[in-house]
Amino acid sequence: MPAGSTAVSSVALSSPRHVARDEGDAIELCFARGWTDGLPVIPPTPARVEAMLAAAGLDPQQQVAYIAHRAVPVTAEKVAINAVMAGCRPEYMPVVVAAVEGIGDPRWSYHGPGTSTAGAGVLIIVNGPIARDLDVNSGDNLFGPGWRANATIGRAVRLIMRNVCGSRPGTLDRATLGHPGRLSYVIAENEAESPWPPLHVERGFSPEQSAVTVMAAEGPRQFYNQLSSTAEGVLATLADDMRISGTGAGQPQYAVVLAGEHMRTIAADGWTKRDVRAFLFERTQNSVAHLRRTHRMAGPVQPGDAALRRPLVESPDDILVVAAGGRAGAFSCYIPGWGGKRSTEAVTKEVKR
Amino acid sequence: MIEILDPTVEIAARSIAFVPRPASLAGKRVGLIENTKFNSDRLLQKIGDILQAEYGAAGTRMWRKRNASVPAHEEIVRELRESCDVMVAGIGD
Repeated sequence: MPAGSTAVSSVALSSPRHVARDEGDAIELCFARGWTDGLPVIPPTPARVEAMLAAAGLDPQQQVAYIAHRAVPVTAEKVAINAVMAGCRPEYMPVVVAAVEGIGDPRWSYHGPGTSTAGAGVLIIVNGPIARDLDVNSGDNLFGPGWRANATIGRAVRLIMRNVCGSRPGTLDRATLGHPGRLSYVIAENEAESPWPPLHVERGFSPEQSAVTVMAAEGPRQFYNQLSSTAEGVLATLADDMRISGTGAGQPQYAVVLAGEHMRTIAADGWTKRDVRAFLFERTQNSVAHLRRTHRMAGPVQPGDAALRRPLVESPDDILVVAAGGRAGAFSCYIPGWGGKRSTEAVTKEVKR
Repeated sequence: MIEILDPTVEIAARSIAFVPRPASLAGKRVGLIENTKFNSDRLLQKIGDILQAEYGAAGTRMWRKRNASVPAHEEIVRELRESCDVMVAGIGD
């Protein structure tokens, strides 16, 4: 069904209904019931929810995901209600659905990233034609405010985690600090200007497909290199920053987001994404002696620890490289994934529309 | 007046059949579920030792989960059911 279609599903909405005097009262009712992330929401009226479902061609009772650790089925109706509340346009719905499929995938393993004291956000990377159609920002102020799709798609996912999956701060969301990306953490790859294959193509999709990658992630950490005009120079700075980050001894994955200037510098040297991954994998290893001395690993330093190297991730493929961010400025960033090895992994789902 | 739809789910109530707690731990075999977090094995073994020394438990056996963020996997549950009378599990940082 084409985006924006207003065809109404024949299957009735089954969620309980609440009555408010007007839109303003409905917004306050949502606050009072504990349904919001702290910001006002759009009241999820039946007409708005039906438009959201129609845009994705979904029946209300269709199951989008099943959160096994919570024994909670996530229906299209609940996804649509929360997407309305987040401020999504109906045509965003297929992207929200793909992201929810991602966090419901056993490989993403909901309970850890949805609950852990380490306070992961859901980094959502949108690839393919839908990113351009929906104006998902891939450029200036990449992680900042200003784009409706970026701000509301991730917000919808977080509201679903809160309202459907039970991840409420202080109860089944035990984040100690959390981070601002937990409001919304959505970017697109700058496929138009990138010299490299996009992330979803590296992960098995075709360039014409649209896809969403979800990764349980800490906040983005910016690094600066305005001095070097070589790939090796720029990435040496990045590797030095990355090496001591996260737990320093075993994030499952990292995302590296290369913005305009660095992207062009690295590409001008003929480096591929694979080269970037291989270089970073090699240059981000710590000595076991250092990890013990700084209490990132348990126990006193043993003879031989200085020569023992511990990689930041298990394999170079655990570093996801994305070309995105503004054209100007000698900045890029890296994003440590949440958790330990084998506790979660990034998942890519096709956007069906 | 406007109507809005509830964004939350009613969790379907499910009853869980708990095995009755034994009146005494004397002679009982104790299973320990280690969640892989640092020192959790030492803490559980200490608890197991106390259950033997002070409560007369027959012995302990420890299993290690695949990681802290998932339920105990099926082999653990099966083996535990076959070889233990009571179990101790927990989570903490």
